[in-house]
Amino acid sequence: MSFGEDTWEMCLFNVKDGFLEGVVRGYKQGLLSTADYNNLCQCETLEDIKLYLTGTDYGPFLANEPSPMHTTSLVDACTRKLVADWRYLRENAGEPLGRFLDYCTYGHMIDNVVLIVTGTLHERDVQELLEKCNPLGMFDAIASLAVAQNMRDLYRLVLVDTPLAPYFSDNLTSEDLDEMNIEVMRNTLYKAYLDDFAAFVHRVGGTTGEVMGELLSFEADRRALNITLNSIGTELTRDDRRKLYANFGLLYPHGQAELAVAEDFDQIRAAMEKCPPYQAIFSRLGLGETQMLDKILYEEEVRQLINTYEQQFHYGVFYAYMRLREQEIRNIMWIAECVAQDQKSRVQDGIVFTF
Amino acid sequence: MSSQNRYTVTPTVSVLAVMKGRLAGATKGHSLLKKKADALNMRFRQILRKIVETKEEMGKVMKASFFSLAQAKYSSGDFKHTVFDSVDQASVKVRASQDNVAGVKLPKFESVKEGGGAVDSKLGLIGLGSGGKQIQECRKSFMSAIDLLVELASLQTAFLTLDEAIKTTNRRVNALEHVVKPRLENTIAYIKGELDELEREEFFRLKKVQGNKKKHAEAAAAKEAEEAAAAAAQGSGTVANGSGAAGAQQQQQQGDILGVQDADIIF
Amino acid sequence: MAAPATGEGSLLAMIVDADTATGLLLTGVGQVDIRKRANFLIVDDKTSQARIEEAFKEFTSREDVAVLLINQVIAGMIRHLLDAYNKPVPAILEIPSKDAPYDPSQDSVLQRVRFMFGES
Repeated sequence: MSFGEDTWEMCLFNVKDGFLEGVVRGYKQGLLSTADYNNLCQCETLEDIKLYLTGTDYGPFLANEPSPMHTTSLVDACTRKLVADWRYLRENAGEPLGRFLDYCTYGHMIDNVVLIVTGTLHERDVQELLEKCNPLGMFDAIASLAVAQNMRDLYRLVLVDTPLAPYFSDNLTSEDLDEMNIEVMRNTLYKAYLDDFAAFVHRVGGTTGEVMGELLSFEADRRALNITLNSIGTELTRDDRRKLYANFGLLYPHGQAELAVAEDFDQIRAAMEKCPPYQAIFSRLGLGETQMLDKILYEEEVRQLINTYEQQFHYGVFYAYMRLREQEIRNIMWIAECVAQDQKSRVQDGIVFTF
Repeated sequence: MSSQNRYTVTPTVSVLAVMKGRLAGATKGHSLLKKKADALNMRFRQILRKIVETKEEMGKVMKASFFSLAQAKYSSGDFKHTVFDSVDQASVKVRASQDNVAGVKLPKFESVKEGGGAVDSKLGLIGLGSGGKQIQECRKSFMSAIDLLVELASLQTAFLTLDEAIKTTNRRVNALEHVVKPRLENTIAYIKGELDELEREEFFRLKKVQGNKKKHAEAAAAKEAEEAAAAAAQGSGTVANGSGAAGAQQQQQQGDILGVQDADIIF
Repeated sequence: MAAPATGEGSLLAMIVDADTATGLLLTGVGQVDIRKRANFLIVDDKTSQARIEEAFKEFTSREDVAVLLINQVIAGMIRHLLDAYNKPVPAILEIPSKDAPYDPSQDSVLQRVRFMFGES
């Protein structure tokens, strides 16, 4: 039975999605290598970094950047490269790949909607707000959100005009929009999104379901860990905390129950170490080195993302490409910050090597 | 001693006393102000040294803070809009108090954290999904930067206020030393001179009167002598002659005493 | 001369770039009152010099502001106003920005300090 399904998948995948898979693998080849990073670390100024990046896939996007460079403009230029790639993929995608690609960007969309909602609350200029939005999370109707006069209108508009409508209608009321802490709102939406995404990849099934299931459960667990870690000592109660955990992942449900009651880092660690894959991660973390946790988690994610390229005929490569590119942009930002702030001794702390 | 650089006063003994009083006051005031200027200067130097130190430290602390901001951005993406939109009521404020240095009030600032610097509920959950720890680190780092900045602000204000105060004090010291005191001294000298002048005139007048009296007396004596001679010729003028001579002698003596006493001063 | 020593304290005002603002506002110094009047101005490439000057004049004349923080780079743009400014309160502080480390030789006040320090 399963053999049959796999065979069909192999036969039919290329009919619809083979071209884009080829394209995305080509894009992946353009990601910076370890040698590139080593060279970037040698740069003395932002201009050097720009010059070096001009020789990579980022070239066309950096060519017209005026000097002097700033870290933000550098990062913006790199983001434009990712956005351009992504648009191309999206425009050429059939179903259900197009839907999958949309799902990948919902995370950014949540950020954008939250940004617009808070901005509107503070009566900021719409145009200004739209400029600040992450281009990956844009959708056609986003500007219409800003015409809302009050919270009720806004809530209605969000429901009508955004793809995020189900996440809102299931989890938030119009009163919440006004009263709820913005971060709680963001994470509530994100949780709904992750659950929905996981259900979607499960429906797609096959290799995609398998690969993406793994990636998403890591993402869900990482969020659970971060939420726990960051909510220690804040007004967020245990129940609130539990509500923000996604309903899947390796930690679900027992690990999450333990995380929900954890009060300090050691308890979190104990809860996480019951799960073998995370035990390996935490064993790399010395005592009291919470600072490095982010980087180790990024590294683990990158490792998993790269593994997706080992298999063929699945959608995970698209998700992985976006994530890897984002990590790369983060790396570039880090290098640029270190160079700009004259902290080159710290430069190695932030780079997650991809290839 | 130019006669312009003095107060226009009537040169009398009582005015002299007043002027002497004012001079004493000015001298005292001068020395007090001088002390104040010294005290201010000392404080000023201290502050200068501290400003230079603190400014340099501020450069370092800010650099570290910016780096922690970069770390936070690395962990949680761009969170600045969330921060900008979370601004509501300030929880960190500056309290101004006053410090007194030799009568100069120096404004002093102190940063005050409402709720003892506890994490603000709105900002406390920033980066809940990712990187919140780093953001809190960054917040702490900037918090110490703010403390330093406020300290620096208070030093800098003290610097400007003291600078102004020292200038004023120095102006006063100089005014006392170079304008008021010489003018008073001149006035006193002038009054003394005038008084002496008056005295000399008085003496001259006395002298003149005395001379006149003498002349009169001599004339009278001569007349008497004539009369006496005439009387002697008549045989009865001896007694009158004796008393007249004695009076004249007495007056002569008085004049001599005055003359001897003042000889060295007047002539 | 000195700011009234009120119980609730005065504000720190800021004319700074986006990065500095992020850090400083994170600490909770920001304030936006009912009339949407903020105690900070975030300067980017699009902010005009006139807007900065206006903000400077507003902050230096507001009574509830005790300290004004300004990025050195931005201070350089309105140097003429800073040099002409001589009130002790609000105190103006030039602070470094992320891209430009602190340069003491440009600081209006520190220049005076150094001059006197060298002299004394």
